[in-house]
Amino acid sequence: MHQSEMSGHNALRWAVLAGLAFLAVSAWGQQPSTKDGEWPAYTGDIKGTRYSPLDQINASNFNQLEVAWRFKTDSLGTRPEYKLEGTPLMVKGVIYTTAGTRRSVVALDAKTGELMWVYSLREGTRAAIAPRQLSGRGVSYWTDGKGDDRVIFVTTGYRLIALNAHTGQPINGFGKSGMIDLKEGMVTGTGQQIDLETGEAGLHATPLVVKDTVIVGSSFKEGMTVVSHNNTKGLVRAFDARNGKLLWTFNTIPRPGEFGNDTWENGSWATNGNTGVWTQMTVDEDLGLVYLPVESPTSDFYGGERPGNNLFGESLVCVDLKTGKRKWHFQIVHHPIWDYDLSSAPILADITVGGKAIKAVALPSKEAFLYVFDRVTGEPVWPIEERAVPQSDVPGEKTAATQPFPTKPPAYARNYLNVPDDLIDFTPEMRAQAKDAVARYKTGPMFLPPVLGDAKGYLGALDLGNASGGTNWPGSAYDPETHTVYAQAHQSALFPLSLRTPPEGFSDIRYVMGRNDAKFQLAEGPGFGSAADAPQRRPAPPPPAATPAAPQAAVGALTVQGLSIVKPPYAVISAINLDRGELQWQVPYGETPDSVRNHPALKGMNIPNTGQPGSVGLIVTKTLVVLGDSQNTTTPSHPRGAMLRAYDKATGKEVGAVYMPAPQSGSPMTYMVDGKQYIVVAVSGGAYSGEYIAYSLPSAN
Amino acid sequence: MLRTVIAVLFAACVCAQTSRSVWDGVYTSEQAKRGATRYAADCASCHGSALNGGESAPPLTGGEFFSNWNGLTVGDLFDRIRVSMPADNPGRLTREQDADILAFMLSMNQFPEGKTELDHRTEVLKQIRFEATKTGDGKQN
Repeated sequence: MHQSEMSGHNALRWAVLAGLAFLAVSAWGQQPSTKDGEWPAYTGDIKGTRYSPLDQINASNFNQLEVAWRFKTDSLGTRPEYKLEGTPLMVKGVIYTTAGTRRSVVALDAKTGELMWVYSLREGTRAAIAPRQLSGRGVSYWTDGKGDDRVIFVTTGYRLIALNAHTGQPINGFGKSGMIDLKEGMVTGTGQQIDLETGEAGLHATPLVVKDTVIVGSSFKEGMTVVSHNNTKGLVRAFDARNGKLLWTFNTIPRPGEFGNDTWENGSWATNGNTGVWTQMTVDEDLGLVYLPVESPTSDFYGGERPGNNLFGESLVCVDLKTGKRKWHFQIVHHPIWDYDLSSAPILADITVGGKAIKAVALPSKEAFLYVFDRVTGEPVWPIEERAVPQSDVPGEKTAATQPFPTKPPAYARNYLNVPDDLIDFTPEMRAQAKDAVARYKTGPMFLPPVLGDAKGYLGALDLGNASGGTNWPGSAYDPETHTVYAQAHQSALFPLSLRTPPEGFSDIRYVMGRNDAKFQLAEGPGFGSAADAPQRRPAPPPPAATPAAPQAAVGALTVQGLSIVKPPYAVISAINLDRGELQWQVPYGETPDSVRNHPALKGMNIPNTGQPGSVGLIVTKTLVVLGDSQNTTTPSHPRGAMLRAYDKATGKEVGAVYMPAPQSGSPMTYMVDGKQYIVVAVSGGAYSGEYIAYSLPSAN
Repeated sequence: MLRTVIAVLFAACVCAQTSRSVWDGVYTSEQAKRGATRYAADCASCHGSALNGGESAPPLTGGEFFSNWNGLTVGDLFDRIRVSMPADNPGRLTREQDADILAFMLSMNQFPEGKTELDHRTEVLKQIRFEATKTGDGKQN
């Protein structure tokens, strides 16, 4: 029937039917999106944007925000958690997230914060010895559009679990009684299955759910003082969201016959591990391409046991969504020995460069470079040059001759220590003291390799922006309307790199972190041994020695009169336009720490906002960039606490701030229910245990 | 008027309860020495031998540490240790051992030593204000 021939009645009926059909399609087949006020994935969508078009909360009213609800997480485990890092989802009026030292999953009423259900699994030793413990980053959501709605997450002990989103009960028919043992298939060496109870593997990132596929990464203990280079091998796997069936596996350490195996010289692929994907992955559902940000191989700072470039260590890898086959890759750091793990969700951005439309992927990084590629071909959008870098003199280590440097956009934060220009300069005396302090270290450009530190020589190589600098796991945000990336970056994270031989019997690696002339210090990873099920395998500490250990604060301290030897701003927020590859604006992040503001030597001086150190996540809305302080402050305008701040996304001007009782410890999110917009943020630290706080405008607004 | 009186009384009460601060010599050097040994065995692997923190744990000295505890009490800090530390087995240490470690932390943060040991009762330690800077009145600005 031609449309013009329809009667009014028929036209209405067709319109209604078409509308219903559209609704059905949009509910069933639509990509996760924030456009209807939901926040259905960890980064808002599965493109890594953390963008919401909501604008009820804006510059004119941000200061009026009040606490709508709060959810304290102390009881979700055997002890309170002080490192709550989750970002909740909000789907159909319900908040879903992880919380507490047992990494429980909770469902909360999005309007009130009322607990609707809670799920947790008591995993015992398996969780107690797991890497990446505590509450994790949150959950993922899957729906068939017909009422089968699932919450999917990874337990502390590395199990993938699918829960009924309405009841919190495991889904029968998914894996075994709703769960999949992710340790099955994890191997060391040339393929030796790890022990399901004690084998090392875990994950605190959220799974990537796309269509009917759940994609899961892997991670391991921190790599500073590891006991073997032959650690568990990283991999990425895809499972069927309906039944949990394994669909494909991508080996991040390629096996013989697989592309990249020859970058592990002397057959070292067989005797090395790690190289997992511990952060968020993203996917282009239309193109059927998945983007994997891969971390470092074992160990973080010595690569003598693995000569070669070590693909796909510290590489962005694009694989086919259906098969897991590699489409392209780009290695950000060759032969990684700086802990430049790819830390952030790659961002999918449709940009226009020189009049040409490009489907791009932009990777924020600890290096504070935004690496931008054509996401179909892997070609850099702007040239990325291989430049000569300093070489290692550590026996057995063979550093790569060159490393990639993007020509555009410019670095959005400091990524090496430029002496003396980057040293503290509040007063000439402080500058002089800082120069003396760094003289104990080897300094130089980016990619300064670790040294064998010694009190008689250099205490270490002084790198900045590697291990905990630049943009870390909280990632960045992207505004698809203006093609702008918003990134918070820590630019005062000095990291002295010194290696030593491990104590007899401790490790099969030739060198671990430390100094041969200092006491060996085991370095544990974040949250290790602090889950609900600890105590764990670690034996009781030896009886105290007769002679107390001498405090070592004075040796090589990287502070001057209690202040960082790096000059402010300590961290920055940047807006980076991806059509032009340029910085649009940059402002200090947060506000001046108490230690600077109250410093006796700086009394009476007018010191502009120094910002504060730390890595935090942010969101971008129709008009605002929103993120919270990483540190507590006590100022004339507020008692001890931290502020959740809003910046005009066009200019970087701070346009509002609201009080939080503790620093932001998880990335924020925003949603709208029944006409009201909320912003939720995880806070914790210091005396304050983990809490999710939801802010909204007073009802009168 | 009544409100003012109550406010003054309340202020006086708070003042009386927390008349001491970390600047008043609230631990002994012997206690800090014991705490140093205990710290090396139970805390240093995460918080660093110089209390400067690590990837896994925050520093227990310097600006960030001070800003977390400024305006609270030593008892609050003590309880935080009791509740959550050592991370792999909270509560494994005795109150006396926790107090020793706390004494060591105070000494490493340049707070003066005194003639009396730091108590091991939370309610007593809550009487000692944690002040980042020595102001005498607990105010920061």
